[in-house]
Parts: sequence; structure tokens; C-alpha cells
Amino acid sequence: MNAAASSSPTGSTAPVLGNLARHSFLLVMLACFLFFAVYNGAFLSLGNLTNILEGSAILLVVALGMTLVVALGGIDLSVGVALDFGAAFAIVAMKDYDASWYVAILCGLAGGAIVGLLNAILVVRLSVSPFLATLGVFFIGGSVQRIFTNGGGPISFRRLPTEYYNLAVGNLFGIPMKIVIGVVVLAAFYVLLERSVFGKRFHAIGMQPSAARIAGINVKTYTSFGFIVASMTCAIGGIMVSANLRMFTPLAGNAYLMQSIAAVFIGASMHPRGRPNVLGTAVGVVFLGMIANGLNLMGLDFNAKDALSGIILVVALVFAIAQRRLKV
Amino acid sequence: MTSLASPRQSFDIGRLARAVAPSLPLIVFLAMFVYLGIASPSFLEPSTFALILKQSIPTTIVSLGLATVVMAGGDDVVSGGIDLSIPAAAVLAAAVVADLVTNHAWFIGPALLIGLLTAVACGLVNAFLVVLVGMTPLLATFASATAFVGIGKVVTASRRINVTDPLVVWLRDGVIAGVPVGVIAACVISAVFYFVLHRTRWGLNLQAVGGNRDAAEISGLSPAKFIATAFVIAGLAAGIGSIFVLARGSGWAPGTEENMMMEMVLATFLGAAFSPRRIVTLWGAVLGAVLVSALSVGFGSVGIDIFWTGCIKGGLILVVVASSALSRKVNI
Repeated sequence: MNAAASSSPTGSTAPVLGNLARHSFLLVMLACFLFFAVYNGAFLSLGNLTNILEGSAILLVVALGMTLVVALGGIDLSVGVALDFGAAFAIVAMKDYDASWYVAILCGLAGGAIVGLLNAILVVRLSVSPFLATLGVFFIGGSVQRIFTNGGGPISFRRLPTEYYNLAVGNLFGIPMKIVIGVVVLAAFYVLLERSVFGKRFHAIGMQPSAARIAGINVKTYTSFGFIVASMTCAIGGIMVSANLRMFTPLAGNAYLMQSIAAVFIGASMHPRGRPNVLGTAVGVVFLGMIANGLNLMGLDFNAKDALSGIILVVALVFAIAQRRLKV
Repeated sequence: MTSLASPRQSFDIGRLARAVAPSLPLIVFLAMFVYLGIASPSFLEPSTFALILKQSIPTTIVSLGLATVVMAGGDDVVSGGIDLSIPAAAVLAAAVVADLVTNHAWFIGPALLIGLLTAVACGLVNAFLVVLVGMTPLLATFASATAFVGIGKVVTASRRINVTDPLVVWLRDGVIAGVPVGVIAACVISAVFYFVLHRTRWGLNLQAVGGNRDAAEISGLSPAKFIATAFVIAGLAAGIGSIFVLARGSGWAPGTEENMMMEMVLATFLGAAFSPRRIVTLWGAVLGAVLVSALSVGFGSVGIDIFWTGCIKGGLILVVVASSALSRKVNI
């Protein structure tokens, strides 16, 4: 990464400035961290720091799906719908069809895949712009959940199979299972998007679709694949949510939409060429998780927290995008 | 492609689809109205028509704002102009007005002024994000909408606030010469928008910026200024719309913005299907808002479950945008 930045032909001071701008977000993050640590001593305890990571795992999974679509040059507003479908399909499979836990997981992934397939058809076949296509799916998905649950009542299932329940509350060698899943998905996406020819093609499509087409990349296939995999990844998040709460809560996924977009753009601002990237997204997610946790510890009321995190998202996006311009 | 391979083929589905695609939204809407007319005879009564017009007022006004932004920024949905935050700004302004009038016993006049300023401030935020920071309008306004909704929750503590001020009640129930006051107001506001955008030099320049940004810049216009102003006008529209949001709901209720955003996007882009050049226009937006409102009222009178409306409207948005995308393909 540093080699790429310093070999840029813009002169000797520009890379230094660029690097500084690029890492100024980390400074902001550090400042927030120190603020919360000073404000409330409990923030720094090992238990709380683990809490932050554990609480960020679901957002991480969703944001990684979003990273894939943004790397392709699109955006996916239906991540919340995919998450909800994942949760709904898994819970209904176990509750109404006595499915075992691994079948339920497969059902959840299939639920996500349906959403992704719909997006892919709209974007690739009908050439609707990704934003409007997924906005339509966002509205339809919300409505479908209301119809299915008769207005939005949760479907709870207390007698979850232990294996399924452990996806959220269990641990592997003492490490909370949510963190394990988050790290596994993170590693998979890192290899897929940043360390393989496959990933290079994704980035190529995102940067210059026409050039990618001329270079022989099947843009339509890759785009469809990207949307479907992104939605299935969000469904993993949905499975984790449903295991945690032991129920499916309609429209719960919408809470992750803006946050995942913000995480991706924060991550992109830290990349030398302003590209969405897996590790940057992970940093963005941890930042947002830290903010949410810190605000909680400050004991703000629900509405104020909502407003504050909305404003912080906008400010974070401004930072992320303004920095990208500074370097150009 | 297939037609090149076999030019004498008498029936070509691709060509048929391409011929039908531009008018597909109109066909779908017409079919729905025919269905509603048959399924519910009361749908065709004059009183229903008045109800439709009254219900459409807030959507009409925010759609005028969106149409202005699209006209200034160009109609490419990704890089062009769009403002998804207008309903959120309108609902936030309505929350401020309702809170001041009902909880702090302000007079309606100053409260409305503060509400209007709030909405204009929202427009300024968007202008800042898009023009100075350089965010894409879609992302900027989607993000700012989340923030506006959040601030609205703090103002109202997410609780319904009734407004029984005489002015608001008059806007809801008043009638001048047999026509509801709100409808007259909406007509006047539409006429003002039309005059400013189509009958002034400034408005024509704004349209030139939207039509071809580079050409406009070469001929000495400053696109950034026009686009920023368009977002502020959209904020103004949100502020005006907020009064009618209060009148329609007899106060402020949580969660009104999502349906309104859906209706606004649908109305504005559906409006483009009526224009000869398939572009977003002010009259198209107004007509679109009335049609969308007619659908909502119609579904209500047939007794379709309210949970279905998101499904139907979301589906219609997809039909509208897919058909415009497909017909654009033909032109290239």
C-alpha cells in the first residue's frame, strides 16, 4: 500500500499530505476513543472492548456484503431486506418445518439469495440503476415482511436447537462465536476481493466497466454474482440476529443500512486510491461500533442516540469523501 | 441482435418490448384505474376525486422540489440531481412547528417561519454535502434524510403531536367557491414554480445546467451555484409541504416520511413518462402525484390491505425506472 502511494508521480510532498489526510480518520477515531475512555472508565475494560467487537460482528458481515457491491460500482439499499429474509427463512424453517439447525442456515442463505437474485435481474437484465433497483426492492421487501407477519409482529421461537442458538451466544476456545464468524467472513472476503484475480476483476468493473468489458471480463455475470453473494452475506448477519434474539423481528435489518454504507465509505477514504476495500470497511465498522457503545455508556436516551448517530454518520461520510477529493 | 440475424422475421419479441417499454408505466397505471373503477363504483364519484386531490397536496409540493433538483442536476439518477431527503426535511419541519405550537404555545405564524427556516437549513446541508464536499446527491441526501429523521425524533420524542390551530384546520377543511383551500394553495404553488423555472431567465439557465452541464459552464454559467440553489429550493418546498403534512394528519405522527419518499420518487419519475421527451418536468410531477394519490385512495376504497401498498408502489417504481432505462437503451 505504502509503495503504491509513494511511487505516485505527483511530487515529493503530495504523498506525505495524502498519507496524512488518509490517516486523519484514524486520528479522529483515536480522539473519540480517548474521549469515551476519559468520560467513562468502564469503556476501557476488557469486557467492554470485547463487547464492542462482539456488537460489531453483525454490522461487519453486512458491511462486507456492501463492500462487494460498492467495489462493483453499485450500491445495495436492500441489505436490510436480505438480512431480514435470512432471519425469517431460518426461523420459519425451524419453527414450522422442524428443520435441523444446518438446514435452517441453508434456508436463511437461500432467503438472502432470493433478494440478491431479484437485484441482479433488475440491474443486469432490465438495466435499472443499482440505487433505484435496490430502493424498489427495499420498499417491496419491507411490505412483504409486513404482509407475512400481519403488520410487523415478531415471530419468536424459544426452543431453538442449541447449535443454532450457539451461533450467537456460544464461543469457540473462549472466543465469542459472533467474533469468530465475523473474522471468518472477513478473511473470506479479504481473499476473494483483495488477494485473487477474481477480486481484481471486481475492482476493474467498478472502476471502468467499459474497459473491463473490452478486456474480456463478463461484466453481467460478475455483477449478478456480486449482488447475490452480497445478499447471502447479509443473510448470514440475519441468521446471527435471529439466533441472538431467538426470533425474527420484521424490518430489523434497516438499522444496518446507513451504517454499512458509512463503514464502506470510511474504509474507502483510507485507501490510497479511494477504493472500497475489505480491511478499511472493517476499520469503519469498529469505529461505528465504538461510537454506538460509547454513546450507550453515556446514558443518552433512545431518541437522542438515534439522532446523534445519524449526524455522526453524515459527518463521517463528509470526512471520508472530502479526504478522497483532497488527494486528487 | 436477433433482428440483424434474421431481418425478415415477422414477429420480434425484443422489438415489441422496446416499442412498448416507454409507455409501459402508463399502460400499467391505466389498467389499475380500470380495475379500481370496476371493483369500486364509488371510485368514480366527484367526492372521491376531491379526496384524491386533497390527499395529494404534500406529495405534490415535495415532488415539485424534487423535479427542480432533477432539472438542475440532470436526470441521470446516479450522477445527476436527486434529493431523497425532502420528505424527511418536511416531516422534521412539521415536527418543529407542531412542537412549538402545541407544546410551547407559540402563535402559528412564527412557528411556521421557524419550520420554514428549518427546512431551508436542511436544503443548505444538502447543498453543502453535494456541491462543496462533492458527495453524489443520492448518497448525500439519503444520509442526510437519516439524520433529519433522527433529529425529528428528538424534537417530538417519537410521540404524536396534535395540532388544532385554526389555520391548520382551515387548510385541511376550508373551502373557497367549492374548491378546497389546500388544492387552491397547491395550484398557486405549482404556478409559482412553473413561472420561476420556465418563465424567468434564471429558471431557463437552471434548466440549461441540467440539460448539459459542460455546455452551460462553457457559456459562462456556474453549475455549482444553480445546483446549490436547487437544493435550497427543494428545502423551501419541504418547508411549505410541512404545513400540509400537518394539515393532512391534523398534527405530527411518527413514520410518515417513508411512504412520502416512496410516493415522491414514484410521482416525479412517473411524471417523466408523460413528457414527450421522457424527462422530469414540473407538470409531470404534479400529475404523477395526483395519480399516485388516486392509487392510494383507490386501494383504500377497494379494501386492499395497507401492508400491500409498499409492495405495489415499490413495484411501480421498478416498472417506471425499468421502462425508462429500457427505452433509453433504444435511443442509443
